[in-house]
Amino acid sequence: MTRKKKRLAVIGGGLAFLGLAAALTFYALGQRTSYFYMPGDLVAAELTPGQRIRLGGLVEKGTIERGQGTNVSFQVTDHENSVKVAYNGILPDLFREDQGVVTEGTFGTDGVFVADSVLAKHDENYMPREVADGLKAKGVWQEED
Amino acid sequence: MIVELGHFALVLAFALALVQSTVPLIGARSGNQRMMAVAGPVTIAGFVLTAFAFAVLTVSYIQSDFSVVNVWENSHSLKPMIYKVTGTWGNHEGSMLLWVLILAAFGALVTVFSGNLPATLRANVLAVQGMIGAAFFLFILATSNPFARLDPAPFEGRDLNPLLQDIGLAIHPPLLYLGYVGFSISFSFAVAALIDGKIDAAWARWVRPWTLAAWVFLTGGIAMGSYWAYYELGWGGFWFWDPVENASFLPWLSGTALLHSAIVMEKRSALKIWTLLLAILTFSLSLLGTFLVRSGVLTSVHAFATDPTRGVFILAILMVFIGGSLALFAIRAHLLTAGGLFQPISREGALVLNNLFLTTATATVLIGTLYPLLVEAVTGDKISVGPPFFNMTFGPLVVPLLAVVPFGPLLAWKRGDIAAVSQRLFFAFGIALLATLGAFVFIDRVSVFAALGIGLSVWLVAGAFTDLALKAGFGKVSPSVALSRLFGLPRSVFGTALAHAGLGLTTLGIVSVVTLETEKFTSMKPGETVQVADYTIRFDGISPFQGPNYTEDRGHFTFLNSAGRELGELFSSKRLYPARQMPTTEAGIRTRGLSQLYISLGDPTVDGGIVVRIWWKPLVLLIWLGGVLMMIGGTVSLLDRRLRIGAPAARRSAAVGEAKALPS
Amino acid sequence: MFFWIAAAVLTLGACLAVLVPLTRTQAGRDADRDHDIEVYRDQLAELDREAARGSIGESEAAEARAEIGRRILRLADQQSDQASSSGGRFTRFAGTAAVLSIPLLSWGVYATIGSPDLPAMPLQARIEQDPEKNTVDELVARAEAHLAENPSDGRGWDVLAPIYYRMGRHQDAVTAYRNAIRLSGVSAARETGLGEALAASSGGLITSDAQAAFERALALDPQFPKARYLLAAAFMQDGKPDQAVAELQRMMEGLPEESPWRDVAQQAMRSVNAEVEREQTATGPTREQVQDAAGMDDADRAAMIEGMVSSLDEKLRANPDDPAGWQRLIQSYVVLGREADAVEALGRGIVAMGSDSDKGAELEAFGASLGLKPGEPEKE
Repeated sequence: MTRKKKRLAVIGGGLAFLGLAAALTFYALGQRTSYFYMPGDLVAAELTPGQRIRLGGLVEKGTIERGQGTNVSFQVTDHENSVKVAYNGILPDLFREDQGVVTEGTFGTDGVFVADSVLAKHDENYMPREVADGLKAKGVWQEED
Repeated sequence: MIVELGHFALVLAFALALVQSTVPLIGARSGNQRMMAVAGPVTIAGFVLTAFAFAVLTVSYIQSDFSVVNVWENSHSLKPMIYKVTGTWGNHEGSMLLWVLILAAFGALVTVFSGNLPATLRANVLAVQGMIGAAFFLFILATSNPFARLDPAPFEGRDLNPLLQDIGLAIHPPLLYLGYVGFSISFSFAVAALIDGKIDAAWARWVRPWTLAAWVFLTGGIAMGSYWAYYELGWGGFWFWDPVENASFLPWLSGTALLHSAIVMEKRSALKIWTLLLAILTFSLSLLGTFLVRSGVLTSVHAFATDPTRGVFILAILMVFIGGSLALFAIRAHLLTAGGLFQPISREGALVLNNLFLTTATATVLIGTLYPLLVEAVTGDKISVGPPFFNMTFGPLVVPLLAVVPFGPLLAWKRGDIAAVSQRLFFAFGIALLATLGAFVFIDRVSVFAALGIGLSVWLVAGAFTDLALKAGFGKVSPSVALSRLFGLPRSVFGTALAHAGLGLTTLGIVSVVTLETEKFTSMKPGETVQVADYTIRFDGISPFQGPNYTEDRGHFTFLNSAGRELGELFSSKRLYPARQMPTTEAGIRTRGLSQLYISLGDPTVDGGIVVRIWWKPLVLLIWLGGVLMMIGGTVSLLDRRLRIGAPAARRSAAVGEAKALPS
Repeated sequence: MFFWIAAAVLTLGACLAVLVPLTRTQAGRDADRDHDIEVYRDQLAELDREAARGSIGESEAAEARAEIGRRILRLADQQSDQASSSGGRFTRFAGTAAVLSIPLLSWGVYATIGSPDLPAMPLQARIEQDPEKNTVDELVARAEAHLAENPSDGRGWDVLAPIYYRMGRHQDAVTAYRNAIRLSGVSAARETGLGEALAASSGGLITSDAQAAFERALALDPQFPKARYLLAAAFMQDGKPDQAVAELQRMMEGLPEESPWRDVAQQAMRSVNAEVEREQTATGPTREQVQDAAGMDDADRAAMIEGMVSSLDEKLRANPDDPAGWQRLIQSYVVLGREADAVEALGRGIVAMGSDSDKGAELEAFGASLGLKPGEPEKE
């Protein structure tokens, strides 16, 4: 191989590598991202069965039920619609009634949202951003000063 | 009075930073000696003032001076002393002050060590440092002043977020900032070279140690942060691919690339322009990290209270510095001369391959981190990019990189012989193969991934030591000669081997935890037992406990081996900090060798039991010990005489004298 | 004054950092290429070491040596293109501007954002302020500072606990009582205080924790009247008037003739009976509400109780002829730790009943049993 051919091969290899990485990245972005919804958005959303989404809102008052063993369920609400969420895990420390929460998982066939992760917040001043935005848009929550 | 004096010192430091960013620069442009000479004293004075301001804030915390808003908001007179001190940087304002203090300290270090740098380069570098400093001083004074006052002073403070009352906080943020801010030095050097339109030979010599130092700190900061999240959040995870974690990981990835390309530049004068670009990108990613963490634009499990107005300000800083430096790069980069040539198969070639992988990985993580912002801006949809994305993209990029790491240090500069190198690595490859088979047969017959992962880790470690053994000549010369040659090897060779071995250990820890961990999630009543891996865990009950500024319910557990012998106790608790009425979970962790038993307490169940989550995490400690080994490797390399910044003064004047005697 | 002098010194120092290098003659400047040559020489030396170690081939070493040599020669050809200057009008102008900018900028910025007259106020200084001027808060803070240093001083916690309770810092009172019990051992008085504080921190509701504390107190001293009384209140709250009356009777039996608790017990017994009679028409929290409250978290419970108390207050303003209602309101305020409100309500109730009427006298006696006097707030 001449020097020129060699250089071309190296550059070509590099470009092919980058192309492959880019293709992988965009494929993964299409496959592995999850959308965020408030309970009220679900009506309009077209969810395929088993699609992973994140569901956020407030924990509705009086709906936290501790079932057998480690199961727990509660309703997530935006004060207009509510969705029942089932979760098998340890709830975060700051998980409380009427507090913002973001859950991630899929809808079961019975319309119950089966969450595999539940995030509340890290300190008492902080509301998950998407939830805060969503509630503000619906006019049911205002930031305290 | 002292508080206001600290405040005044901060303002004065801002004024000095403005002088530092202008006067030396004008001096360098017009060749004015005196104006260039201003840079040094001004940098030192700025550092002294910033350090004074920081000391004043710390004293206010120690003395519980609640007439300072920042202290009142984040401290409490009953807080243990250590957390009073660490609380200084456990909040936004204080941590920004620490940020500029470290920036000023690095500037002062450059000043002290730069006696033998060309005067214009020195003036330009310090001026660029001054610009960064001025921007952040302005940010602090305008949006996040730690010296805002309250009159009259309230009696009691609001206490620090309990999650932050931890020894991890004493170490993690300062290390991280030392890393982030350390990269500002390579950035300043890069911009200075662009301003000057030339890269001095001294330039390359300088950039590598500073990059290495920053990289060592950042590695430590990330490892520490990961361990802190692991034991403090009680979720048992060590890495969440969370935006805030990515924010620190991005500069680490590109910083690692920079570190390697700087070797080529130092040793072979090649890849100059690329190194320059990497230096700019790495610091830009550090700034981006600061922005992501402070602004709250991304939802993160690590985000504490955030303030959007601050975000806009940092975004402006970000755009000015990244935009400005990239524009300068576009205009001036062609003035820089390209360096030496090399064959694709050579040490240089291997380092280019390393850079290709690392920068692509950086880009992937960057895209995954920023994609939600982009989508929301364009379509309004709120999406999240989680671990599945990163596992799918980052994994395939990093595994081949890890597989070729052992080849790099064995290849010769300029043109190498891949076949010969493969032959030399035959032994390491054999060990790795044995480890793979052994893991498959003895540990876990189900998971091929586990076995391959373990093999890959062993390959990295064995490869690193093969390099040392070969350079010392084991097998070729008599063992005693080889041993003496081993100790005579440059420290940078040891540094490389240690860092690469550390990478192998971290990989081993990750692979082991991800593929071989056991988890039990159940509810337990006192007296009940549960089997986890080879251990039996008995729940003994819950008892209340009173800490200095919290109360807690402790769940007591005893763990026994398969023979039923008691091996020890551990407790995991639910804590309540009354000052903020904030509950936290304290995981119970017990170390056995390099593995850990991890128990997290949940809520009480209706039938009088309590929910517990128990993990057996095999070799989990290696994840962080590998990081520590990487840090040691970096430090050893930094101590290499050849890398030491500058030559002793006596030798320097001699060298100049001799140089003048050269034919001209 | 000290501040201004210190600030002026700092400013002066900062200005000197700029001024001194500008005025001092700089030593002759090395040409950039001298630095480069030094680097190249080091590289040559390093190359020699590598060659000696055998980590670079002979031919490569020779080539690299040649390359470095070429660079050195190239450097030697270059003339120093930058004229070096160190004086002139421009320096003087720029230097003056830079030096002047420091005081102008710093004093200007500081004047707008600083508060130079505000002294530092560390904990020690706040505590050491003239004791004459010390408020209760400050005395408590002094005690807290003492306990922060000697956290195992059981007596200190013992003293502080009831003070916390009276200040309305019920949660702190709970902690203090727990510490006192842990350090100085159990006693009927401490357990009762703990129960009382627990109840108050739940907004006046006697929780099972609180009840357990009263029971522990009685196990230690069956004749401890306050615990007995509060236990009766717990039964009353749980809707068990029979048990409440039984407790009150046991309390009466154990009390000496002249004990002030006798009146309290009799009063309570009367109000229990009245409560039973008036069960249907009761205003204020129903039993269901109270039971609901037991399942709530602290903040909600407190809010609910506050709400109920204020609605009772409203009702009595509109319809003041309700002696039992006044008693409940006053009792509620006392339990909530709002003593001023209790006194005020007592005053209003007596006026509403007519201060010389029987009902008014009864209310006054009720107030006295709680340690309240109308219109004359107690000093702490």
